[in-house]
Amino acid sequence: MGANFESRYLMYKFFSKKLSIISFIFIPIIFLWHPSWLGFLGVQPYWPLFWLLPWSMINGSINGLIFGLFLGLILDSLTLDDSFTQIPGLIFCGFLFGRVKLHSDNLVGHFRYGLICSFGSFLCGSFYFLQIIFRNFSDSNFLILIPSLKNILAQVFLTGFFAPFICSQLLKMFKFSRRKLN
Amino acid sequence: MLGIRRISPNRWHKKKNWILFAIFLFLVFVRISKGSYYKDLYYFISRPFWPGQFQKEIVLESIDQEYLMKLNLLKKDNLRLRQILSLQESSNNENISAVVISRKTGSWWRQIILNKGSKDGVEIGNIVIGPGGLLGRVKDTSLFTSSVTLVTSPESKLGVWVDRIQVNGLLVGLGDDYPSLILYSKDADIKVGDFVSSSPASTLLPSNIPIGIVQSIDETLKSKKTAKISLLAKPHVIDWVQILKVDI
Repeated sequence: MGANFESRYLMYKFFSKKLSIISFIFIPIIFLWHPSWLGFLGVQPYWPLFWLLPWSMINGSINGLIFGLFLGLILDSLTLDDSFTQIPGLIFCGFLFGRVKLHSDNLVGHFRYGLICSFGSFLCGSFYFLQIIFRNFSDSNFLILIPSLKNILAQVFLTGFFAPFICSQLLKMFKFSRRKLN
Repeated sequence: MLGIRRISPNRWHKKKNWILFAIFLFLVFVRISKGSYYKDLYYFISRPFWPGQFQKEIVLESIDQEYLMKLNLLKKDNLRLRQILSLQESSNNENISAVVISRKTGSWWRQIILNKGSKDGVEIGNIVIGPGGLLGRVKDTSLFTSSVTLVTSPESKLGVWVDRIQVNGLLVGLGDDYPSLILYSKDADIKVGDFVSSSPASTLLPSNIPIGIVQSIDETLKSKKTAKISLLAKPHVIDWVQILKVDI
């Protein structure tokens, strides 16, 4: 009985310590799952930013930059476009999000997450779009212009819309995880 | 005692007048607009009850059945003629049925992931078709899955054939639902509604796989003509696909 209780306690301790890493695993899963009922104009929110913002806010710019790189590497491996990468956008966002300070007012904080994630999504989308433009410069890049702009705008809107809900929950979770560590 | 404030009859009368005046203004507005907003509202309310919708479905179903019968007849004819000419019969043994387990048909990435991989004999370059026609080509395989680049992806460039004018063209994905057909001849007499299939000259695809229909034509370029193609196979709704292992 005592041993059973101890093992359960250790498991609980392990999971509460590693909450941030466990949630990290879900990003590629949800990226692949691509639930269409959450989409707008066929576009999904940019899921990695929801995790990257609270992580960078708590752990700082350098950590944000490193995990931005990790996320970029994983997500690039899941997409088939060899010529384009998500790494620059995510690295930049990770670094930038690390400079954001936690806000004491919860309500303002929620809206701030939306705005920051929208901005991050715009940056990542623009970086990706620039790569496509650069690659297709000699061909018919003007044909790619309209769908790409639609992609960026829809993604910015959706990411900003969902960020207040998801980021605040993740931030709470990460804070809880850190408290247990100390 | 309870603090109920009574509205004096005079005040109530004034309020009533204002309400009546507002209704009057509203009715004047309805009259001037000849009830257009009212009719528009009725349009939306009555829409589910229109008889035409139901009739349309019946007609479409009949047309589908007709096409199916015609297809079967043509298949039999094809088989008979092949036997007469002693040509090799195309077999279905090399087709693999697969389920779409991940779908990215919006946003930047245009790809699907299937539940069959190298374990089941899927190879890079295999053709993937769904109800309607071509979906894309296998770009990457793992042991249990294979990733397909859709024809709508900016990475996709395929040789196609416009049957009516007997011209080869290049089908380029643009990252939206309508890939662009590029014909490197300004004189090509392409029209809206023309049928596009895989090119007999293509080194990537077997010939005569249906792809789509010309939706609009852009003639602004000097040296070439471009057209938007509406795909016959809709990757955002298809759950089951066929992987063709065909040697070209």
